[in-house]
Amino acid sequence: MSEARELLRLISISKTFPGVQALKGVDFDLRPGEIHCVCGENGAGKSTLIKIVSGAYQPDEGGEIWFEGEKVTLSPLGAMDLGIQCIYQEHTIFRPLSVTENIFVGMEITKKGFMQKQEMRKRTKEVLDYLSSDIDPDELVGNLSAGEQKIVEFAKALVFDRKVIILDEPTASFSVTEIENLLDIVHKIKDRGIGVIYISHHLDEVERIADRITILRDGNLINTCASSEITQNELIRQMVGRDASLFYNREHFTPGEVILEADGLTGNGVADCSFNVRRGEVLGFAGMVGSGRSELMTLLFGGVEKISGSVKLFGEEVDLQNPRVSIRNKMCYITEDRQHSGLFLIHTIARNTIIANLLISSGSFYMPKKEEDVGEEFIKKLGTRAKNAGVLAGNLSGGNQQKVVLAKWFNTEGEIFIFDEPTRGIDVGAKQEIYRLMTDLLRDGKAVIMVSSDMPEVISMSDRIMVMKSGRIVGELDGNDVTEENVLELSIGGRKI
Amino acid sequence: MSDSGERIGKRKFEFRWNANLNVLVIWLVFIAIITIAQVVSLLPGQYPTMVSPANLSNIFAQVSATGIMAMGMAMVMIAGGIDLSVGMLTSFVVLYAAKSHVDFGLSLPMALITAVLFAVAMSAGMGFIISRLQVEPFIITLGGMICFRGIALLVVRSQEVSMKGAMDPLKNSVMAEVRDPAGLIVNVPPYIFIFLAITVIVWIVMRFTKYGRRIYAVGANRHAAYLAGIDVKNIIFSTYIINGFLVSIAALILLARVNTAIITVGQNREIDVIAAAVVGGVAMSGGKGTIWGVFIGALLMGTIENGMNMLRINAEWQFVVKGLIVIGAVSTAAIVAQIQAKRQLRVKQDAALAKSAIDKVIAEEKAAE
Repeated sequence: MSEARELLRLISISKTFPGVQALKGVDFDLRPGEIHCVCGENGAGKSTLIKIVSGAYQPDEGGEIWFEGEKVTLSPLGAMDLGIQCIYQEHTIFRPLSVTENIFVGMEITKKGFMQKQEMRKRTKEVLDYLSSDIDPDELVGNLSAGEQKIVEFAKALVFDRKVIILDEPTASFSVTEIENLLDIVHKIKDRGIGVIYISHHLDEVERIADRITILRDGNLINTCASSEITQNELIRQMVGRDASLFYNREHFTPGEVILEADGLTGNGVADCSFNVRRGEVLGFAGMVGSGRSELMTLLFGGVEKISGSVKLFGEEVDLQNPRVSIRNKMCYITEDRQHSGLFLIHTIARNTIIANLLISSGSFYMPKKEEDVGEEFIKKLGTRAKNAGVLAGNLSGGNQQKVVLAKWFNTEGEIFIFDEPTRGIDVGAKQEIYRLMTDLLRDGKAVIMVSSDMPEVISMSDRIMVMKSGRIVGELDGNDVTEENVLELSIGGRKI
Repeated sequence: MSDSGERIGKRKFEFRWNANLNVLVIWLVFIAIITIAQVVSLLPGQYPTMVSPANLSNIFAQVSATGIMAMGMAMVMIAGGIDLSVGMLTSFVVLYAAKSHVDFGLSLPMALITAVLFAVAMSAGMGFIISRLQVEPFIITLGGMICFRGIALLVVRSQEVSMKGAMDPLKNSVMAEVRDPAGLIVNVPPYIFIFLAITVIVWIVMRFTKYGRRIYAVGANRHAAYLAGIDVKNIIFSTYIINGFLVSIAALILLARVNTAIITVGQNREIDVIAAAVVGGVAMSGGKGTIWGVFIGALLMGTIENGMNMLRINAEWQFVVKGLIVIGAVSTAAIVAQIQAKRQLRVKQDAALAKSAIDKVIAEEKAAE
């Protein structure tokens, strides 16, 4: 089983998107019966790499993909035919169907057009037995736990004799015993001679199961080595050290008094979060995707009901039970998903600009002319590139859409600004402008809370950083401690399993 | 701001493809239909004249009830909902008002007021469920429609009730003695003015008030509206209450017109109402549509019906034509949207291409250094 034959080899793979090169000449190979972990920060190019392997993206010209000694071009269906299966973070399951039906959906075993239910059930049972799982093949998948659902997806891969399985953050939101169970199963899959590409932010997991490790940074291949040859500290050291040009140099101000104090906030998947923000500073929230940062912000803003905890604003305790109360208390929330929760895409820039202002301005009327004037005023103020305030928000580019979201909040009397991923999907020039606008807020004595998965951004913009992991705040970094190594170590290292 | 005054002074009407084209199309169809009917009526034959004071006032009288209901429907739909129950709610109001006045012995004002209150309460009940439980308005109001039909029939034990002319003041022309040049009586019942007044009020609410903007916002993006400090649930709730009120007013106008309360008064009327709103540019997906568009939409549907009656087109063909107009209006809107999206995409692609070319040049220059 352990012949040195290669299953998959990628040679000099690059991938360019408008405005960003996600992969730069990366080599990668996978042998049968090995677990090959891919490590890197958010945005290092891991997702792009697995999307190329699973055929979702085509590499730029010059890159080659070899599968079992033959040069191939991969498409999503083609990759599936070759035996490559990707198990994504989000489950791709059909909740109202049984385990067996889920495994065979679209590939039912039929005889003369009739489904062979017994045959399918038997094969499912065999595989589940091999995985030492006691899941009933007839159980509805909707009734299974998240961990069990993942096992169903593994079973699917085994039933169809896949050769390569890609696991993207398989343990996100799992309990400790579920993780334990899952790692055992990954070992069993490997014992069948399947090549596993494993992506995880949790270095302890990586250390435990990896045969080899590939480290990516800014789309570059940094290192590929056997896992026995590298320590956790060395791994982190190789992951950090982003290109200096990615950092932003901003003016810093002497922080004023504390204007927001959160104590023991619990709910929406986060627990016991306490922090405070002062005037004139940026409090950054770092952590891996899924660590609960956005959930905490939604909770703080009153977007969901909290279980316990309290918030003091300007020295007084306030029950921020819904966004209306928060906005009246001078809070602003620039969400991470502009299109879904920030903008009214079918409405004009002007309408988007005044919508949050309706709550705090007096009177019942709002004249269309005033609306248009305010829209124009903020286009000028923020340098939004649009012909006039009558342009629909949906017709703007990402950076200009973000400016419209900012206009909406700048047009309230806000003093505390929550920015969630303020520059996601925005080109470099617009990024700088957003940073400049944030700095302007600080100069005016306002406070900023910023969630960011972009390491250079969170390092260069924050005065202090709270690091989150698994729904909790695991550390606070201040002054000279604000370094990539420290942030990474807190957010991915040291998890006990 | 010194320059802003200058700019306002210079502001001109600017044609916006996205906002104005639908309305323009509706207007063109409207004018085309009137012109065709007018030309045909001038041909030798037995056709009555289309554009005459008598006929125009007829059209207005015919569309008043549907038009008022379309105003309520527009508010519900702009907030992202729909109400299928308006037809049967109309029947209920008509039957209840007649029965309670004629058989239960309520005075006419009491009968009408209680009818309105019941209608508002029933509509509010549906609105409450839709807004609190976040269930599909289509299904809840479908249930309401079936339910209201039953209630209406229960009230009158499946019989019809004659009003014996008790509501004639609402129907009788305010200009009884006026005749147009052709010698036909110009019929201007007072409820035409109720229709116009309601249109103006709803227009003011939707265009000039904060409440109106909140309705548009909720329909355009419910989640973003909530995070921008809008009380989404109560906004949705309120649109159903207002709709119930407007439906009951329209129902009483119908009662005055037909004089006899019967279940078929409201039957299938929701179809005409939704058609008027949709032809007027209101999107099923919410957040879009103007009140004047809906006004024209209601007039257009009424004019087509009137015109076809004048041309003695039979009822079967009238259904086909009305249906095609609804399909045509919505398809036109979709085609416009797609053309626009393509144009936008091309602009973005060009920008991306230009940018990557520039990046390449810069990279090459760097490499040369």
